[in-house]
Amino acid sequence: MRITIPHIGNMYVAFRSIFNGVGVDMVVPPPTSKHTLSLGVKYSPEFVCLPFKLTLGNFIEALDLGAELLIQAGGPGLCRYGYYARDQAKILQDLGYSFEMVTTELFESRIVGVANLAKRLSNNAPFTRIASAMRLGMAKIAAMDDVERVVHQVRARETHKGMATRIYRETVQAIDDAQGHKSLKAVTKDFICRLRDVPIDTETKPLVVGIMGEFFIVLDPFSNMDVEIELGKLGVEVRRSAFVSHWLKFSLFLNAFGISEKDRIHQAALPYLKRDVGGDGWESVGEPILHRDEYDGMVHLSPFTCMPEIIAQNIMPTIKDRLPVLTIICDEQMGRAGMVTRLEAFVDLLWKKREAARRGESRQGRGFSVSLSSGGS
Amino acid sequence: MLKIGIPRGLLYYQYYPLWSTYFQEMGLEVVLSESTSKAIMAAGSSRMVAETCLPVKVYCGHVLDLVGKCDYIFIPAIRSIQKNVYNCSKFLGLPDLIKAVVPQCPPIIDIDIDASKGKCNLHPSTYDIGRWIKPKPKREKEAAQLAWQAHLAYLDAMRNRGVTPVEYLDAKKATTSSAEKRSLTVALIGHPYNIYDEFITHRIMHRLNALGARVVTPEMAGNEALAAGVEKVVGRPYWTYEDEIVGAGGHYLDAAIDGVVAVVSFGCGPDSTMIDVVQRYAKHPGARPLLTLVIDEHTGEAGLVTRLEAFLDMVARKARRSA
Repeated sequence: MRITIPHIGNMYVAFRSIFNGVGVDMVVPPPTSKHTLSLGVKYSPEFVCLPFKLTLGNFIEALDLGAELLIQAGGPGLCRYGYYARDQAKILQDLGYSFEMVTTELFESRIVGVANLAKRLSNNAPFTRIASAMRLGMAKIAAMDDVERVVHQVRARETHKGMATRIYRETVQAIDDAQGHKSLKAVTKDFICRLRDVPIDTETKPLVVGIMGEFFIVLDPFSNMDVEIELGKLGVEVRRSAFVSHWLKFSLFLNAFGISEKDRIHQAALPYLKRDVGGDGWESVGEPILHRDEYDGMVHLSPFTCMPEIIAQNIMPTIKDRLPVLTIICDEQMGRAGMVTRLEAFVDLLWKKREAARRGESRQGRGFSVSLSSGGS
Repeated sequence: MLKIGIPRGLLYYQYYPLWSTYFQEMGLEVVLSESTSKAIMAAGSSRMVAETCLPVKVYCGHVLDLVGKCDYIFIPAIRSIQKNVYNCSKFLGLPDLIKAVVPQCPPIIDIDIDASKGKCNLHPSTYDIGRWIKPKPKREKEAAQLAWQAHLAYLDAMRNRGVTPVEYLDAKKATTSSAEKRSLTVALIGHPYNIYDEFITHRIMHRLNALGARVVTPEMAGNEALAAGVEKVVGRPYWTYEDEIVGAGGHYLDAAIDGVVAVVSFGCGPDSTMIDVVQRYAKHPGARPLLTLVIDEHTGEAGLVTRLEAFLDMVARKARRSA
């Protein structure tokens, strides 16, 4: 059985490593492209959210390359991500493909569920082999995340724009190629050194902008039109709390013991939103409050018609004493030029705000918030 | 006497007898907002982010209508009414959403209803209303029992007597089911807050009647038939109100009727995928014809009527041919 998993950013590196490690053939869908998007849009329901359309496009492209078993997230929840698999299976059947669709039900059974799935998919490979493959896969994600954190710092300060991004792309390739923990460590160390050697401007203290919003869009550069790279070009240091390694660690292990990494964010959100509304809506309310002393502003990413993020968007303007927020709504109509113009305007406003604060004109109180629907380019 | 406001939107159509009886039996006065109107819809829309779905905007308009008319507003946060089957985010975020966009809103009674957690379910005996209303109302237990009976009576009337919520809840409007002979039977499926709101769906029920069709709705099929419909089309239910679209679709597309009209609102998360599943199911040979109408605040009345007329013409022709 040839397996495929749709893209979310660079997650394919980990999946490929895990499945190859247990001797399963994995078809990595071609990198998400305009073509993927147009395939997804063509066959998806009209007003479903962007991740549905993109992952459907990935499936179609992977099936054309010979994939037979599709893996999609599933399990009960408050947002329609858990419904994707049902509808996508029907769409693909109607298109005439023959395949099997497996949903992870990750959130119900955590690490045991993943291990069982791997065991089933790998023709009952011994658990030790599965465990070691998974360890390597997770280590690869952690390595990519470590490098990415450095990239965020370098990108904002580098004197020749684009070097950090180039090195990061090479890093992902090298991590993908790494065969074991030893070579992975060496590669990671090497690339972090290379990043540290990039000539940087040490004079200016860059703006710090947090990225928050819907998990898929935040982690998938195609969906968010490389918002992190664009901000880096404008000399902005990007921070975000959503890292795959972090998320996996908690959703697979620690949450089972009642430890949540998001408690602080939820505490901050509590006066404005008392309940988890699914997806990342609760976090999107809490983050601009929690980080108000650390960051200069936040960019909020949301797919068009995303239910949890709509709640957050409605609540955000009433929050007192929070960071300025730029909301970017992503769908198939998005245009990069339109987004960049708004980012530039937002960054200008943030510089003015910082300047005003430095001169002591304290502008306490509400942060402003700007919203950008996709469309104009 | 304390006044409790109940907005005439969203779950009003499902649970009004339950909630109004509960409060009235405790000696509180229930204030209901006016029927949806252009002004109510416009007031609600103007306060919310454009992307928000129509029923939530309309609901916000109803809350605005109640401001100044009551001491509390009842907006429960319904997470689940069945184990491991959850509701759309918007129902959960509703109390906080309303608090944010309507700052002048009276105190909100935001009871948590989450059957997956066990303790708090739809039955009013679990509401612990004393947390919101001080002093604690009397006769809480009896009121809860009576309310539940009222709820069951309401379900029974819809299922066994073919009464629509509008006829049951609003005796003044109980109207047009005159005895004139109607040759066609059409199922109208969708969430009650869409299909029974006479303003946002332009009195679709009356229009279908006027065009010579008898209308059946999801509630009339009964819970078991709807659950079987969901099972048949997608398997295990995912959304709390999945039976209103997928269940009703699965049931009526194979039933001995002439056609199915589905109403969904633009931008509704659950509807976006559910209606796709139903449309795909409707392609199987022998399924009844299906018309899908997507509504938002710009829906033109003439466009809707034209499409209904064309659909019923087609359905009538089909019925004649097979007769």
